Amino acid sequence: MTARAGHVSLENVTKIFARADLNSTLVALEGVSMEIRPAEFVSIVGTSGCGKSTLLRIIAGLETATFGRAYCDGELIAGTNPKRGLVFQEHSLFPWLSVRENIAFGLRATGRYRSGAGLVDALISIVGLSEFADSYPHQLSGGMRQRVSLVRALVVSPDVLLLDEPLGALDSFTRMNIQDELLKLWNEHKNTMILITHDVDEAIYLSQRIYIMSPRPGRIAGEIPLRMSYPRNRSSSEFVNVRNEILRRLDFAKEEQEEYNL
Amino acid sequence: MSGKTASLSAEPISAADGRSLESRAPTPWELRQIEAAPKSRNRIAADRATCALPLVLAAAVLAQYKLTPNLNDAATTDVYTCFILLLASAVLVKFVMSFFSKKTFEKLLEKAPLYTAAFLFFALYDYATIKTGILPLPYFPWPDRILNGIYEDRALLLDCIKNSLILLFSGYFAGAAIGLLTGLSAGLSRRVRYWVLPLIQILGPIPSTTWLPIILIVAASLFGGSVFLIALGVWYPVTMTSMQGVLNIPKANFEAARILGAGKARLLFRVALPAAMPNIFQGLTQGMSVACTALMVAEMMGVESGLGWYINWQRGWAEFAKMYGAVIVICVTFSVVNFLLSLVKRRVLRWQEGYWN
Repeated sequence: MTARAGHVSLENVTKIFARADLNSTLVALEGVSMEIRPAEFVSIVGTSGCGKSTLLRIIAGLETATFGRAYCDGELIAGTNPKRGLVFQEHSLFPWLSVRENIAFGLRATGRYRSGAGLVDALISIVGLSEFADSYPHQLSGGMRQRVSLVRALVVSPDVLLLDEPLGALDSFTRMNIQDELLKLWNEHKNTMILITHDVDEAIYLSQRIYIMSPRPGRIAGEIPLRMSYPRNRSSSEFVNVRNEILRRLDFAKEEQEEYNL
Repeated sequence: MSGKTASLSAEPISAADGRSLESRAPTPWELRQIEAAPKSRNRIAADRATCALPLVLAAAVLAQYKLTPNLNDAATTDVYTCFILLLASAVLVKFVMSFFSKKTFEKLLEKAPLYTAAFLFFALYDYATIKTGILPLPYFPWPDRILNGIYEDRALLLDCIKNSLILLFSGYFAGAAIGLLTGLSAGLSRRVRYWVLPLIQILGPIPSTTWLPIILIVAASLFGGSVFLIALGVWYPVTMTSMQGVLNIPKANFEAARILGAGKARLLFRVALPAAMPNIFQGLTQGMSVACTALMVAEMMGVESGLGWYINWQRGWAEFAKMYGAVIVICVTFSVVNFLLSLVKRRVLRWQEGYWN
């Protein structure tokens, strides 16, 4: 991996979906611009339906922007590329492959299996799944499955790792454990991390910068840089202040809640 | 359950025997033993009697066969005696073992009524045919004649089995391979689906055997024509299920594969094919039953070898015993074929257990 790879930049990206059943269109994203530096950990938070997943899928190359442009390391993004890995929310492991073979899939697909076979086992043991290397996905718990998904995306050493609410379906204990593992992996691999989440604490705990999105159509409503050092304390006053600030911007502030709860 | 046996006198594991519970978790079978209510003495005696019942019935079959007079003093052989003795001794072995292994005991207890019914059937059938003639010859030959018929024609029958299987598998594999190709590509590509769907809708409802009269005339060789007929019958269900299988694959599987750098060939053979396997095996099983039907019809109508031909040929000689014999051979042959298919299925789909729950 070259030192400065993993630069993502979006210029005025707008995405409009056709709604086949209604014969109408839906603006999912409007005029989104962002600049993400190599090896930066960035989170995008927003309520569900604000187009944050669409944004990630455009960066991954699974969707094409209707207007505007998306670049990775100066190249226009067109189609998928193993340099941009993606971890899905759930159920994306190949159920017919064992844990080891799931992880090795990317190496085989990119013709690097011979040289990288040792890496598979190394990564399996980093996330503590050595005992389950030959198990099938249905034999694993939800947390184990997401660990495998994470490692499967990392094995091809992507410059950018896109995380689409990877921990959204997990219980809070497992989630906190995997958050720490994520930070560890990020420290080792030094790749760009772009995390989509609706969990504000998760975003603050992990990232150096947070984009806040507003829904219908999805727009960037704000950007918050975080300068706290790692590992972060979830109950520190700085953490709590940032959380309140984000919640306020997401229109979930206390005053309005009270008004709502009349 | 890895050959662990449990005797009735010394339970291998129990609630009181804490040591064995601490060292390992009980197997499901052991768990049932622990949680089941203890059986009363009378209940155990009744269960033993149930296990012995098939043996009693087997003795009755033999006694009737050997000791009571035959209708019109018909001649009989001991082939049937041997057959019944063979079945009975298999039960006897299990019965003896059931005193030493609780697991064998429970298995035998479950199967004993079925075995009893089987021997009862033999006894009643003998009574109705060879002893009284309620079911008259030549339409209802007694088992001894059927067994002798099979034994007499064993060389010919083996040859027929061989020819039938060659024809069956030639057609089956051709149909399955082409069905997979059309089904998978139709599932993956909208353009292929555009052309394949109408073809399926037109050809699908026609039973493949409908084509036989035409094939008999048009085909250059009867064998080739029959292979085509069987293949056509297999092609339809395999195409349908493999297409449906691909359409059912979660989109995330394809997207994950593409992101990891998979090209078109890898998407087809390493993602679409294995992911659609559960559906494909439904089609392969369905296709096998269609293929067996088509095979029989083809052999009865034109092909001059195989089990279907044999049964039809014996009809010409009014050899009813040999026709029944052929039915039994066909039953055994197709059962073995289906069993082998289910073994392959279990091996290929071992990843699947419980996944779709």
